[in-house]
Amino acid sequence: MPQHPGVYGMATPQTHGVGGLTFDTSKRRWPNEMNVLIALVIIVGIFELLGQLMMGQSFLFNSSGRSDSIFNEQRLRIIVLQVSIVGIIAIGVTQVIISGGIDLSSGSVVGATAMIAMSFAQMGLVNGNPNPTLALGPWATDLPVIVPVAIGLSCGLFAGVINGALIAYTRIPPFIATLGMMVTARGISKWWTAGKPISFPTESYRVFGDGLMPVFIFVALAILFHLILRYTVYGKHTYAIGSNEDAARMSGIKVGRHKVLVYTIAGMLAGIAAIVLSSKNLTAQAGMGTMYELDAIAMAVIGGVSLSGGRGSILGTVIGSLIFGVIISGFTFLRLDAYYQEMVKGGIIVAAVVLDQWRQRRAAYGA
Amino acid sequence: MRKLILGAIAATLMSSVAHAENVGVSMALFDDNFLTVLRNGMSDYAKTLDGVTLQIEDAQNDVAKQLDQINNFVASGVDAIIVNPVDTSATEAMTKAAESAGVPLVFVNREPINVDTLPDNQAFVASNEQESGTLETKEVCRLLAEKGKNPARVYIMMGELSNQAAVMRTQDIKDVMKSGECQVELQIIDEQTANWSRDEAQDLMTNWLSTSEKFDALISNNDEMAIGAIQAMKAANINMDDVIVGGVDATQDALAAMAAGDLDVTVFQDAAGQGKGSLDAALKLAKGESVDQKVYIPFQLVTPANIDDYKSRN
Repeated sequence: MPQHPGVYGMATPQTHGVGGLTFDTSKRRWPNEMNVLIALVIIVGIFELLGQLMMGQSFLFNSSGRSDSIFNEQRLRIIVLQVSIVGIIAIGVTQVIISGGIDLSSGSVVGATAMIAMSFAQMGLVNGNPNPTLALGPWATDLPVIVPVAIGLSCGLFAGVINGALIAYTRIPPFIATLGMMVTARGISKWWTAGKPISFPTESYRVFGDGLMPVFIFVALAILFHLILRYTVYGKHTYAIGSNEDAARMSGIKVGRHKVLVYTIAGMLAGIAAIVLSSKNLTAQAGMGTMYELDAIAMAVIGGVSLSGGRGSILGTVIGSLIFGVIISGFTFLRLDAYYQEMVKGGIIVAAVVLDQWRQRRAAYGA
Repeated sequence: MRKLILGAIAATLMSSVAHAENVGVSMALFDDNFLTVLRNGMSDYAKTLDGVTLQIEDAQNDVAKQLDQINNFVASGVDAIIVNPVDTSATEAMTKAAESAGVPLVFVNREPINVDTLPDNQAFVASNEQESGTLETKEVCRLLAEKGKNPARVYIMMGELSNQAAVMRTQDIKDVMKSGECQVELQIIDEQTANWSRDEAQDLMTNWLSTSEKFDALISNNDEMAIGAIQAMKAANINMDDVIVGGVDATQDALAAMAAGDLDVTVFQDAAGQGKGSLDAALKLAKGESVDQKVYIPFQLVTPANIDDYKSRN
């Protein structure tokens, strides 16, 4: 088995070196994402079977007779919709983890960014009365939509630059740097309005979270970053740093600068997620995005991204996020209590890592 | 000279103590919307009273800091203490600290674990959580009966399962069903948690809608989740006139949803009233008068009929 599946497709050269590393793609059987995809299919199959047995209904297919489509389209939509916002974060987190780091701050950055961006996206009048949740004052109402979007993106970007710079230039571990940002950003989101919610956005700001828009944004960003990671120098350097930082440095990669870039991209993606989230909910609240960072990390890990760096892909993370979505919808479909949902989610995360470790050991010892 | 000044200061202080009430207040945290309304209710009320001074401190959600604040209040000789406990299971030590110094103590909003063994000069002021879910469910029942939906199929959306209010409000629904106070028969299709969150509620409602089960009402433990569910129903082109939606809190967002005709029922918890009530109890205890040890400020039902009374209250 190759050490770095996911970096190169089947059609790439047989051997190639970055930073003194050599990949041998001739021994690979199938891409890593295939395992995750099989897991997804199995889980869907289990819900389909249980649905037929317990509910007398199909999980995936249309059994209501309300329309003539083959699938239960509403369920397919919600499966993706409910993970698309955390999925956007997971795209950034995946890149951070592949580069050998970790980002614990994304959930809090989402909260702070949502609060700040939403303050510039409020309507002046609600049902003819002044907006009762104004964060800044009448001057910040009914602004063109570009203002909150630009501010939201800048907030995410700014948080990412700080994360990256701290990690690259003070050499503190990513865990600590982003933990600091996690606490600070949550503090900012509470301080911004002293805990009061910010609601009633302008019509134009509602676009980003309306209907299936979060899904389109998620998919577009996923495709974009999947291609970037796979086919550009940026991507190759990210994998190289995650596999062996010293070797990457020796081979001339500007490791520090590259890390800042990776965390900045992750921060900006969190900013995008914040805009979509606040737009979808028509409100921003201080507690928004809590625990999103862990869900995003879990999606990546389930999708085959190795926490030791250098391995994984956006495609894997996307499939990982779908596993999340299928579980949430499946449990609601079966009307099982929420308690079980969390327990199963935890079990799947651990199982994914155990499987991954086992696969890596087998690869290392050439089983 | 110095002695003289000190003596003068002491004399002034003592004379002011003689006809003024100093009350120390320790709030669990300042940056909480509800507790801020409560705190402002207390201080606004104090301003209307002659010679009552409040010293309000922020315990920043720290149990140890809160106990320190209470001990400091005792040491500086306040006439009464009001505590909004950080942790309701850590109130024993506060009761002891105030009791041994003979200072009256009033707990506000959060029920202390030792509420049934409080000494005579201590009390508890809050709203009875049991009322909120009961008022909500009864009004939902009334609206369902009005529409002739009997039996009615309902979904229940619960708050965080580790939270007392979520457990209590959900129990209220079932108690109303059992007590026969509901004019229609409620059939619960499913009850799930959306962790008080609008976003999770949107997703949960959409998941429910994908089962194409017919339903007549949604009873939610709070307004945020009710609003999330409304957004999901509207996205699925459900006519909001056909569904009864109930929440609790009467937040600004909820009142707007009610004005738009989407939300049918919500319940107002009188934060400012609790603040005022706790100060009243503290002042009475400071004067040596007796008060009820459990003072309940009633929840209030909010419907489109009386919505205007609540628009400026939180």
